[in-house]
Formats: sequence, structure tokens, C-alpha cells
Amino acid sequence: MSSLPEAVAAGALFAALLVVVALVSVRALRRWRHARLRGVQEQWRGALQQAAEDPHAARLDPIGALDLPYFIALWNRAQEPQHGEVAERLAVFLALQGLDKRALRLMHRPSKRLRIIGIQAAGHLREASVWPRLEKIAHARDPVTSFAAVLALVRIDPRRALEVLAASIPERADWPLARLATVFQNLGPAVVTGPLVTMLMRKPRPGLERVVKLARFGHRERIANIVLGWLGSSTDPDLMMAALEYVESPGDLRWADGAAAHPEWRVRLAAARALGRVGGRNEMPRLLELLKDPVWWVRYHSAQALTRLEGLEPFELETLRENARDAFAADMLGQALAEMRWS
Amino acid sequence: MNTAAYAFAGLFLAFLATMHLLQLVPHLLALRALRRSVSVRSLQELPPAFSGFEPPVSLVVAAFDQEATIADTVRALLQLDYADFEIVVVNDGSNDATLAALEFAFDLEAFPKVYWRRLATRTVRAIYKSHAEPRLLVVDKEHGGRADALNAGINASHYPLFCAVDPQQMLHRDSLRRALEPFVDDPATVAVGAAIRPANGCAVAENRVTAVELPQSLLGMLQIAEYLRTYPFARLGWAEMKASLVMSGAVAVFRKDAVVESGGFKSDTGGAATELMMRLHRVMRTRKEDYSVHFVADAVSWNIVPETFGALREQHVRRQLRLAESLHANASLLGSRGTVGMLAFPGLMLFECYGPLLELAGYAAMLALFALGWLPGKALALVLVASFGLGFLVSASALLLEEYSFRLYPRAGQLARLLLASAVENLGYRQLVACWRTMGLWQWMRARLKQRAPPRRELPSHGRLRP
Repeated sequence: MSSLPEAVAAGALFAALLVVVALVSVRALRRWRHARLRGVQEQWRGALQQAAEDPHAARLDPIGALDLPYFIALWNRAQEPQHGEVAERLAVFLALQGLDKRALRLMHRPSKRLRIIGIQAAGHLREASVWPRLEKIAHARDPVTSFAAVLALVRIDPRRALEVLAASIPERADWPLARLATVFQNLGPAVVTGPLVTMLMRKPRPGLERVVKLARFGHRERIANIVLGWLGSSTDPDLMMAALEYVESPGDLRWADGAAAHPEWRVRLAAARALGRVGGRNEMPRLLELLKDPVWWVRYHSAQALTRLEGLEPFELETLRENARDAFAADMLGQALAEMRWS
Repeated sequence: MNTAAYAFAGLFLAFLATMHLLQLVPHLLALRALRRSVSVRSLQELPPAFSGFEPPVSLVVAAFDQEATIADTVRALLQLDYADFEIVVVNDGSNDATLAALEFAFDLEAFPKVYWRRLATRTVRAIYKSHAEPRLLVVDKEHGGRADALNAGINASHYPLFCAVDPQQMLHRDSLRRALEPFVDDPATVAVGAAIRPANGCAVAENRVTAVELPQSLLGMLQIAEYLRTYPFARLGWAEMKASLVMSGAVAVFRKDAVVESGGFKSDTGGAATELMMRLHRVMRTRKEDYSVHFVADAVSWNIVPETFGALREQHVRRQLRLAESLHANASLLGSRGTVGMLAFPGLMLFECYGPLLELAGYAAMLALFALGWLPGKALALVLVASFGLGFLVSASALLLEEYSFRLYPRAGQLARLLLASAVENLGYRQLVACWRTMGLWQWMRARLKQRAPPRRELPSHGRLRP
């Protein structure tokens, strides 16, 4: 019978010992690698700095297979803030050292970390020959490598990349929208408006809300032409809310009536905000009606909208508050007035 | 009789092995998550998230008798590196001058704020805005405990996400960004837990940890080993299994509408984030909504852990009490679909809630069997060695994960001390903690029995009681 406790005790102690050995080995290996890299990285950094000015003059000691990913990662980081001639010089330097092809081969390695380093290098090198490979990776299931491929494609040819990816961007909820937004912002309206219009016009429209969020980086007028049309043609809350954000002139407010009576409170709230943004005295009855809304947030934003209406004086708002039959509405107006004075 | 004693020893050993296996498996899964984050680290540096898409968040701080520190706490929070946040400090009827300290430091003035009272709380006396800091809102209310204060803060907050912050925590500048990243990347996120680390021994300036060091005291070291074994990697592993049930209330971010619809923090569980987390699971499952809970294993927050036995005992007793309350208040999760109901909840119930009691009872029975001569000394010694070996295996695996990922203790001396503490932790300290936790469980059982006892019938002033 004592064989079971013996086996468990021996097994646990042996496994614990193995883990301790692994721990000490990892620490020792890391220290050794760190010490070695610290020496060569000084030289690499110096060479990259020189290459940014003159790629032909910069000198680099031969780089072994083990060191290659570290050097390419450093080169990627050096490339990141660069544009134009400096980026070009760094790419030339890599080619002169015969490291460009080796960097691209990292894309085929089994390790995800190495693949990402290779994909990033392909983007920085603007290497069109690997486009089909990158496009394939961009459509792969893994969100991280596929997103890295998207970034590389955008670096190589932004217009073509957005055309190719127009179908995927709405559907790939696993591509972080906030990071995609940075890409769109950096590319600018001239590049992104066309693909955005294509994406907004697509039917059916799964993931359209993602595109609507990115639409702010396009030419506002072209986007507004499409989006405001939804107010007349759709009852979808997400689309109507997005459209109400594009209401910019009193003329656009003709659509807000339907939105102010929409069964979904978020749409009524967006309508109240739109009325406050561009409305004048004429919008007061609609906002007073919204001030009685059963949902707190709608009442709150309606009160704030009233304080922003063009041409309405604070004493008129005070009178409205005093005469309000609805206690909630009076309180809301009180707060909105206090906020107005506070700011 | 010897056979029965051996059978018991085998059963106890199986219990210990399963308990440790349930700690080891999350560590293995945490390794997968850490490998993923290491592979994307170079990618995450670029491009950064567009700050306009970072979800705005309300930091809710429940303050009770924090006169000496509250202003510094708020100042440190205001330094957080995040695009859009507000701080809602709730003065929970403090007996000292907490409110006056805030008024003095931030030039507060009462403001006629109307708010949506979606969660019932004790009376709010006044709400103040700051002339010095537009992102600060102070709610002054009658004392109702931490849960009540957090609920009042949620009511008064503006933003769709809120982060419950313990005023004694020390946050990194980028803590909020790291803790909110899952909300940016996964729209189905309803809650994010974040790792906390003991700050004992660390250099601290302006309510921030500036250099990570280990404490000098043995009790401090043992707690660091305990935190590493039970906290960051275990939680990360459970999150990897989509089965996060335990959450520290020190720093936790929630989607406000989900919390409000779940009823907010409960006062009878001391405002435990774990209870809220379990209730969120229940509600989201009932509504058949797609949801996810994440855990950020980076050390985003530091706190001072107790360095006296009395304070430590009190902490463990209280934690166990809250765990038992949380589990029994959400017992319907047991057996529900997925890893939450099939693995995490039963595992927590058996090994975390009743585990300490069972473990102590097992040791006591083994010693009794040995004393009665029914179990040979060798068998007893082997069970004890196996218990140590299993515990040390879990502790060492946590250290290995720490080495692989964050490397907060880079010096060889620090590693040696941590290894030693991990070994010593399993030679008595863990068992001592099991005693304290059993005390917590006992307190909970007594309280539960009291609640169940029928109220004593008072004799009527006239006549007799009917049978």
C-alpha cells in the first residue's frame, strides 16, 4: 500500500526539482543572452544610426542565426518612427548586408514571435514580392499574425491594401478597432475615404458599426451623404445613432423627428444631442418633450441640449425650470444650468 | 484496521493531489497566455490604440476615515495615463475629516447634481465638484459600508465602465490603460480583474512603487510566495479557461450596465468583487448573452500586506468568510454549462471553501491513526512529504512563470530568497493559513445557522401560547 504515497511523494519532489532546474536554467540562459546581446546591440545601434545617414558607409559584423531575430526586431523598431528617405536608407542598409532575404524568411518560421518579426520587416522593406503571402496571412484565423500582416500590407501599398481588406475589416471583430483606427488616422482621408465608402455601401452589412466608427477618418461630407440617408431609410438603432452624429446643419434636423420618437432610448438620446448641437429656438418643444422621457440619460442629455440651443437665454431656461410640471425635468434643467454656470 | 487506515491515507493523498492539480493546471494554461502575450509584445508597441476609441471610465473610490491619505490617493489617480476618466470619491460617512481634507485639497463646492439612482444606497447628503480638478466628483453620504459606497459611486458616475479602486492601492501610471485593454480589444468584455502585488520592501514615492524589492521580514516573504502561487498566474489560467470567478476588489473594471442589472455590490458580502463576479456570470448566463471576463496579469497595482500574525489572521478569516458567502449566494452556478459551472465553481467550493477544513481534518486524522498505531510512521511521513512536494511544485511553477514573463525580481539573491520562501511556505505556513481559513469558514457557518434558527416567539402579554 505504501507504494502509492511513495510514488506521489517521489513524483512531486522530482517534478518540483525539475521546475527549479528549469527556473535556474532560464535565469542563467537569460543572463548569458542579455550580457552577450548588450555588447553587440551597442554596435548594432551605432550601425543603424550611421545607416540612417549613409547606408553604404555603415558597417556591421556578421550576424548569426541566433542573433538575427534580435537584430531584425531592433531594425523594425528603428524603422517605426521613420518615413521617406531615412526609411529607404535603412532598407537599403539591410539589403547591402544581405539580411533582407533572411529577414523575410522569418515569416515562414514556426514560432509566432519570429513570424511577426518577419512580417513587420516585410512591411518596412515595402517588399511587394511577398504581397500574396502577406495577403494569405492577413486572411488567416489567428488575430495577431493576421493583423500584423494587415499592417505590413498597408505599409507596402495602402490603397491596394484597403481595397483588398475592405471585405474583412467589418467582419474581423478580432482586429482591435482602436489600433485599426490609428492606421486609418495615419493614412489620412485622401486614402481611406474611398474604401470607407465602399464598406459603408456594402450589403448585407455585418459589422457595419465598426466601419461607422472608422468613418470619422474619411472626408466628412462624402461620408455624411451616405450616412444621413440612413435616417430616412432605416430604423436600425445603431445606424440611426451613427447617422445622428453626422447631423451638422439645421437642414439635417428634418430627420431628427423620427429619431426623437424612436422606441430605442439610445436613438432618442442621440437625437437630443443632435438637436442641441445644431438646433435653435424652434427645437425647444421637441427637447421639452424629450425632457419627460422615461429614461434618465435621455432627460439628462435633453436638458443639456436645451442649454446649448442657439439664441436661448439663461433666464428663459430658469423660467422653464420654474414652470416645469415634471419634477425630474426641473431637476435636470437645474443641473444643466448649474453646469453651464460652472463652466 | 490497518487496511482502512491505508485506504484513508490513499484517499487523503488523492484529495491533496487533486487540490494541487487544480492549481497547477491553471499555471500551465497561464503559460499559454503568457507565450501569446510575449509573441505579440513587439506588435503591441505599434500601432498604439487610437485614444479616441479608449472607452471612458469612472474610477470609484470608497473612502472611510481616510483623512490622512485621501488627498494623496486622488492626486496619484489624477496622474494616471489615460485619455478619458473621472474620479468619483465617495465619503462613506467618515468619522474623521476625510471630506474636509478633500475640500481643502481640491477646492470643492456643493453642486446640484441630479443622478440616476439605479442602485439603492444610504442617503446621499451632497455632491461636490472641484474648482481645481474638473475630473473629480465627491459624493458625501451616510455610512453604509464599502458596498453601499461603491454603489453610490456607480450611481453618480458618468461613464459606461467603472473601476473600483481601493484607496490603499498604489497604481502604475499605465495601470488603467493595461486594465482597460481587454475592453478595447473584445467588445463582449463585462469585467476585467487585474493583478495586485505586495509592496512590502519596495521603494515608494508619491504613492507609487518606484523600485521593486523584497521585504526583510519572513512573514512578508512568505506572503510574496503565497501571492505568486495563488494569484496572478492562477487567475490568468482560469481566465484562459473562460472560468474567472474570483476577483480582487482592489482594482477591478466592470461594465456598468451589466453590474447595475445584476444589482450592484451586495452589502451582506462586504462588497466582495468575487460575489459580484459570480452574480454577473449568473445574470449573463440567464440572459443568454455573449460575454467574457478577462484578467490582466501584469502587476498593475501594489498594496502593503500585513506583517503581523494578528492582522494576517484577520485578513484570511475575512477572505474565507466572504468566499463562503459568495459561493453560497450563487450556488445555482454549480453544474451550469461550461467550465464555470462544471469545473471552476465545484473546484472553488470543494478545494477553496471547504478545502482548508478537509485538509486540516485529514492531517488530524492521519496523526490520530499514527498515534493509535494503525498507520506506520513511514506512511505518515510519505503523505507529509508528498504534501510538501505538491505544494512546492505549484510554488516553483509560479516562480518559473514569473521568470518567463515579468521578471520583477531580477537579482540572483532575490531568486534564491523567493525559492527558499516557496519551500518554507509549504512547511507550516500554508497549514497555518488553512487553520485561519477554517476559522473563517466556521464563522460563516455559525452566522448561517443563526440566520436559519427560527425567531424566538415572545410570550403574549395575555393568554397562552398555542401549541
